[in-house]
Formats: sequence, structure tokens, C-alpha cells
Amino acid sequence: MHRRGVGLAAFDRQEQSNRSFAQLSTVLSQTQVDQLHSQLNQFRTALAGFASTHRESIKHDPSFRHAFQQMCSSIGVDPLAGPRKGGWWAEMLGLGDWQYELGVQIVDVCVSTRERNGGLIEMSELVRLVGKLRGISGGIITEDDVVRSIKTLEPLGAGYQVVEIGGRKMVRSVVKELDDDQSAVLAIAQQEGGRIAEDILVQRRGWAQERARAALENMVYRDGLCWLDDQDEQYGRAYWVPSAMQWDL
Amino acid sequence: MSLTTHTTTSGFILPSIHSAPPFFTQQPNPTTQSIATDQWIHLIQAYARHNRLFVLRVEDAEISGNDWDEVLRNERINRKLLPMHLTQILAKMVFSNVATYDPPKQTRSVLLYWRLPDEWAEVLHSWAVSTAQLNTILTFYDITDPPVKSELSGIPVSLLRKAINILVKSGRAQLIGVADGEGVRLFSGGR
Repeated sequence: MHRRGVGLAAFDRQEQSNRSFAQLSTVLSQTQVDQLHSQLNQFRTALAGFASTHRESIKHDPSFRHAFQQMCSSIGVDPLAGPRKGGWWAEMLGLGDWQYELGVQIVDVCVSTRERNGGLIEMSELVRLVGKLRGISGGIITEDDVVRSIKTLEPLGAGYQVVEIGGRKMVRSVVKELDDDQSAVLAIAQQEGGRIAEDILVQRRGWAQERARAALENMVYRDGLCWLDDQDEQYGRAYWVPSAMQWDL
Repeated sequence: MSLTTHTTTSGFILPSIHSAPPFFTQQPNPTTQSIATDQWIHLIQAYARHNRLFVLRVEDAEISGNDWDEVLRNERINRKLLPMHLTQILAKMVFSNVATYDPPKQTRSVLLYWRLPDEWAEVLHSWAVSTAQLNTILTFYDITDPPVKSELSGIPVSLLRKAINILVKSGRAQLIGVADGEGVRLFSGGR
């Protein structure tokens, strides 16, 4: 028969059983937590081992770095997440610092060349100049690293962006939209080593003279993306796109 | 094209921008132009310091065969700085006090301040101290053309005069009329 306690003693009994259930549950969750902790510790030690054995190769070997980063993204780990986001990856690998350092160097190159290129630099040129800045001891860096670093700069809102013009990657360090005509001009200027003239656009693109002139003058007057050369032997008036020229600092 | 630095016969390293053809054109965009002008000023000052040149004239851009050919012209890319353009650069140099029109009241010739008159005053004073010529009367010629070459060798008299005037003001020099012109006596005197 179902027995139901009546009276004051029943209260006590119920309370008693509640307490023991609660106790049991704490013990259970405690063991679970302990287990997790030990797993985590194991993982951490393994990671630390990995970090210490491979840190140097990650920093210096671009292909290894690439593979590592792909592995991280496939398992959903951000190797750049700082300690605050719960990632001690960054701490252990030192990859965060490495990446930010590269970011600073990219900004350095972009800012110091902005005056002459109007804030647009070709990717290969950027990689070359950053490499030069880092010296030999800095190890080789690749386009991939630069793209990744530029992504880490995003939260700063400085407008660093990788754009593709005429099949070539360029890094833009000023917030400025390029219209179609400008992109076309930049693409041709790249083939010509930086030099562009109205007639070249008319011949290659079939533009009307006025359109070519307007596009070029906009780039000179409005955007500062082009420099004028009025001593050109062939066209008399030529324009130069500094971002498409290779500079020896 | 790739832009590289170029070392001239006098051992001066021309910056890579000097081999960029548009550098020799006055830029219609004011921002670009001011960048280009700053580059020019920097280049002119560095070259003047390297070769101890004190004077730059608009004429130097008009006629070749002078001290400034290597800078005002680039034969390798067949470009040259036009006199009009140089006039503007000189104006900005005078405006930013890295040069002064000399003689005054014209705009075709400047005295370059790759050292400011204050700095020249210090150079003059320490030269006198190190060669033990304090308290003796020196003619301008003694200073501009000393038997042992000094920092001041070849300094134009107008610049020397500015430097001396600064020393006079701080009580470290006295201008004296001597038989064949002017002389100066330098004192150790503190300010």
C-alpha cells in the first residue's frame, strides 16, 4: 500500500531525503568536473609540448604555418584568441604576438608609402617591403600571412582591405571606393609598370578620349592615386600610378 | 618599372623617388604636390650638406653644367626639374626657414640653411675655442679660408655675418672694423 507520511515527522523525512539527493548530485558533478579538469590538463600539457617543439617552425616555416592554421580552422580553434577569450593557444605558441607584430609592420609599410601611392599598394610589393623591414632573422612571410594579419587589424576599423584589381591583389589602407574605370586604369598601369596615358586607354579599352581623360584626372585630382608626368617622350602627358611601381625604399 | 637608388660620382645616394619620372613634374593635386615638394627639399638639403653647397639658383635648373646637375636632372630617365617648379620649391624652402633669399628682395637665388644660423654660430664659436683664437681679431677671410680646413671653409660671408650677429647678441663676439674690411673678436663669455 502506498504510504504517505502525515504529520510533522513526514516533513522531516522528506527534507532528509532531499538533502541526501542534493549531496549525491554534488558528488556526481564534482567527479565530472574533476574528470574534465584532468582531461583539460592533459590536453594542455600535450599542447604545451606541441607548442614548445613546433613554435619555432611555426614562426619560421611559412608552409608549416599554413598547415597549422588550416588544422586550427578545421577543428574550430582560433590560435589567435587571447587569454581573455579562453584561449591559451596564443600565449603558448606566441603566435598571437607574431601575428600582431606582422600587423604592425604591415601598417608601418602602408602608412610610410601612403604618401606616394595614395594608400594602395600591390600585395607582392607589400610582402617584399615587410620582408625587408623584418630582416633575415624575421623569417620568410607569405601573402597568406599578410592576409591573415590584415584580418586581425579589422577591429581597429582603419579600413585595411585586400582588393583584387585586374587579377592582382592589392592592399588598400584608406577607406576609398574604386569605381570600375579606376580599376581598369590600375589594371593596365600594372601591366605597363606604373605608366598610363589617355591614348593607352583609348587603344586598349576603346574608351572615348573624354572618358579616359576624366578617369585619369579624377585619379590625379580627387584621389591622389596618380602622379602626373608632363615630360613623357611618347605621349607628352603621362600618368604614373605609384602603387604599381616597384620602390626601393 | 623598378625604382632604385642611385649613387652619383660624388658618392651621394639619390633616393629612389629621383628615378620616378613624375617627380620632375609639378603635381596638380595640392596634397601630392606638397609631398613631392617635401621630398625635393629633403633631397636638396641632403645634397647640399653632402657637397657643402650653400647657394641654389633658379638658373641652375635653366642651364646645365653646374654643381646641381646630378639632382636637378636625371639623364637616365631623361627628365629635369623645370625652372618654374624650382622657383616654387625655393619659395617653400624660404617659407619653412630652411633657406633664405640672398640677396634679399629677389626670388631667383637662395642661401641654403642645411645648418641654421644659430647652429653656424655654435660651430664658429667652438672652432675659435678649439683653435685657440678667442680674444684675437679675425678677419672674415681668416674664417672662410683658414690655413687648416675647417667646418667653416667656404661659408658665404652673408651666412657668416648672420652667425656672428647671433654671437654678438649673446655677448660672445664683437664686430670690429679692420684695415681691409671687417673683423670679429670672439669671447669665451657665457650668455
